[in-house]
Amino acid sequence: MSSAQLRSEVKRIIVTELNLKGRDPESIEDDAPLFGSGLGLDSLDALQLAMVVEEQLGVRIPEGDEARQIFQSVRTIADHVAKVQSG
Amino acid sequence: MSATASRIRLWVTGLGLVTPLGVGVETTWARLVRGDRAIRAITRFDVAGQRVGVAGEVDGVEVPAVGWSRTTAMAATAAEEALRSARLDVRRRRVGLVVGGTTGGMFETELLLARLHGEPGCRELLVGMGSHPLTSTGDRLDERLGPFVRVRTLASACSSGANALVVAAGWLLAGDVDAVVAGASDGLCRLTVSGFNALGATDPEACRPFDRRRRGTSLGEGAGFLVIERAESARARGAEPVAELAGWAVGSEAHHITNPAPDGAVVASLVERAVKRAGLCARDIDYVNAHGTGTPLNDAMEAAALARALGPEMARIPVSSSKAQIGHTLGAAGAIEAVITALAVARSTLVPTAGLDEPDPSLGLVHVPHVGRAASPVRAALSNAFGFGGMDTVLVFADPGRGREAEDDPAEKRLAPPASLRPSPTVITGAAVFGACGLLGTEACGALLDRRFDPDARVDPDAYLDATRARRLDRAARLGAVVVARALGEAGGEDLATGLVLGSAFGNVDGSAAFMHRISEKGARSASPAEFPNLVPSSPVGHVSIYAGLGGPAFATADLATSGESAFAQAVQLIAAGEAARVVAGAVEAKGDIVERILTPLFAHASSQAGAPRSDIAAVVVVESEAEARRRGARLVASVRQTLEWRGDAPAWKDLAAPRGQRSEVVLARADGGSEPFLGASAWRGFARLLCAPAVGESDGLGAVALAVAVGRIATNLADEVLVLGLAQDRGYAIVLARGYG
Repeated sequence: MSSAQLRSEVKRIIVTELNLKGRDPESIEDDAPLFGSGLGLDSLDALQLAMVVEEQLGVRIPEGDEARQIFQSVRTIADHVAKVQSG
Repeated sequence: MSATASRIRLWVTGLGLVTPLGVGVETTWARLVRGDRAIRAITRFDVAGQRVGVAGEVDGVEVPAVGWSRTTAMAATAAEEALRSARLDVRRRRVGLVVGGTTGGMFETELLLARLHGEPGCRELLVGMGSHPLTSTGDRLDERLGPFVRVRTLASACSSGANALVVAAGWLLAGDVDAVVAGASDGLCRLTVSGFNALGATDPEACRPFDRRRRGTSLGEGAGFLVIERAESARARGAEPVAELAGWAVGSEAHHITNPAPDGAVVASLVERAVKRAGLCARDIDYVNAHGTGTPLNDAMEAAALARALGPEMARIPVSSSKAQIGHTLGAAGAIEAVITALAVARSTLVPTAGLDEPDPSLGLVHVPHVGRAASPVRAALSNAFGFGGMDTVLVFADPGRGREAEDDPAEKRLAPPASLRPSPTVITGAAVFGACGLLGTEACGALLDRRFDPDARVDPDAYLDATRARRLDRAARLGAVVVARALGEAGGEDLATGLVLGSAFGNVDGSAAFMHRISEKGARSASPAEFPNLVPSSPVGHVSIYAGLGGPAFATADLATSGESAFAQAVQLIAAGEAARVVAGAVEAKGDIVERILTPLFAHASSQAGAPRSDIAAVVVVESEAEARRRGARLVASVRQTLEWRGDAPAWKDLAAPRGQRSEVVLARADGGSEPFLGASAWRGFARLLCAPAVGESDGLGAVALAVAVGRIATNLADEVLVLGLAQDRGYAIVLARGYG
């Protein structure tokens, strides 16, 4: 999967799994913050996202501060997934 | 006579405990004080693949028969001990029973549920579902230890046990009963272990509340029950008090389904109200048994709330959490910890926070690390309990001897309860129904029974909801959010302190089955953190209180097909006790496959219940204190003339009021042969009987529809007085609503 495809996949997962009804996945910007002021996601969403990313993309998101770095934006999530998949 | 001299005092006269530290109050207490810890590797079921596999497990309680769950067996053991230590004969007094919980018989049924989800045709072992409903604990206790004059089952997640005591206190203050056996029980199960692990809320080792290294809680299981009596009635039978249940307060944060509001403002206001209700001030409090789960967020919020409420006194008042020793027993925690707090007062002994090697300095608390110690004396102590959805309860236990000094002490701190806490007659200010009939307000409810149920009609709550704010709500919560908003719109007025009591016969059984099925197919790491909070029986109540911004008492009731009636009765009792000025009450039942195919037929009362076309249903009425409704200039739609409830051979039925005029009617959920023995011999026999099921479809929530219809018929002048008769297996409710007030 190309990095653009991977980012699209992450966006699709966010909209579907976090039940952001009516939101067009492609309207989420690659670098926009996901939590707090950005998409308005919170810690419960982060947990759900970690579970689904592991299940659907086969990549485990570590817990704690590391997760916070990975969950900054769609791009950071996709980069982490690509890094683990290629490693 | 001073205000305090006339205060009705509530004594704790009996205690019972089953905890991972042992069966019985004395075993648990001795080990608590010693600092023993019971958190160990889970043996009850396979925890392979779980992030965390330790918890506090109870040994030494056996399930006595089919139809009993571990939850029920622990409850019976603890309630029996409480009755025995109180030397209370339930046949000689009017004794009520209040049971709180969240898991019910889940441990016994969860593997069956996982299988039923995967194989919809499977019907084997269905008798095993008999212990599933939350109600089954109260039913078994009623058979074994009763008869009780009134039985209530409630759930508010991890504050269920504390709310059981709030309900008990209300019944006692109203004089409805002489004594109440109140408490809660929750058995450990795969579902809660998987769910809390998915939330990342558990510590891989035994939890360390208030420690700077704390990483989460440890789960546990157990039961705690207390006998509470009015002091004068207890004294008259020669009973001695263990402690006084002196104060309490209950409210909702309306913030987030799993996370506490960080500032602790709601909890702080509840601490203030509970202490004030006890006629005390911060200087009188000598100990706090904290909710203290050991999660980073809870302990920080709780410390902030205590500082906010009790101020500089927190530099003196020791705080500890028993969860480091017994684990977080979820629905039972509030009751178990109430027993511990009452004992701390009775014995002037502080129990410790085990494992507290490095207290978190940012919390600013005074601790009791590792082992308990004598304190001289513990005049009064707080017990806190906070549940999913931000349903919070604070209890105050006090030395019953303090009254003599207080009554001689004219100091202004000894305040009479504020006017809003004084009992009041109740009225109805609005009603709403949402289902295949659409969304109907008060007046339209009056004409609802002219319709015919259309099984193909779509029930679409999303058309009425903000998609972003509602994204975590499951179907039941969505139905509830729609109907509650409509009913509050009918009633008018802004009031953050509005309470919410919603009944559901069986809760989210299909959601629990899907959750368990997923785990059994894909492993424990596939447990959905977002889905888990929706499986708690009180989840719709929590979601709706957050969505609608309701700050009053909030919990779920369960009483099979009369859950809506039980919610209504409870709302009336909460208002009568002064716990809230108004409460939205009713039932929310989302259609569910397992409920429809298995549970409803298994617990059916009327033959017309099984097999009839079913529908999603949400129906509520707004119950309000007459004084408050008049103060805000609200339209008084109907008055609550009478609310009766019973088990078994209906001793309360003989007290039913006779109809006052010719324009009276009876509203029933469904064609029910069981109603004839009641109505045929009563003064209501000649009046019209209206049925809800043909108009809205079959559902376990029809009792709430009947109440909304009654309100609507009075509002539109179709009737002056309506009797709602609700019947389910071995239980019933009779509610008379009428035009006219005062």
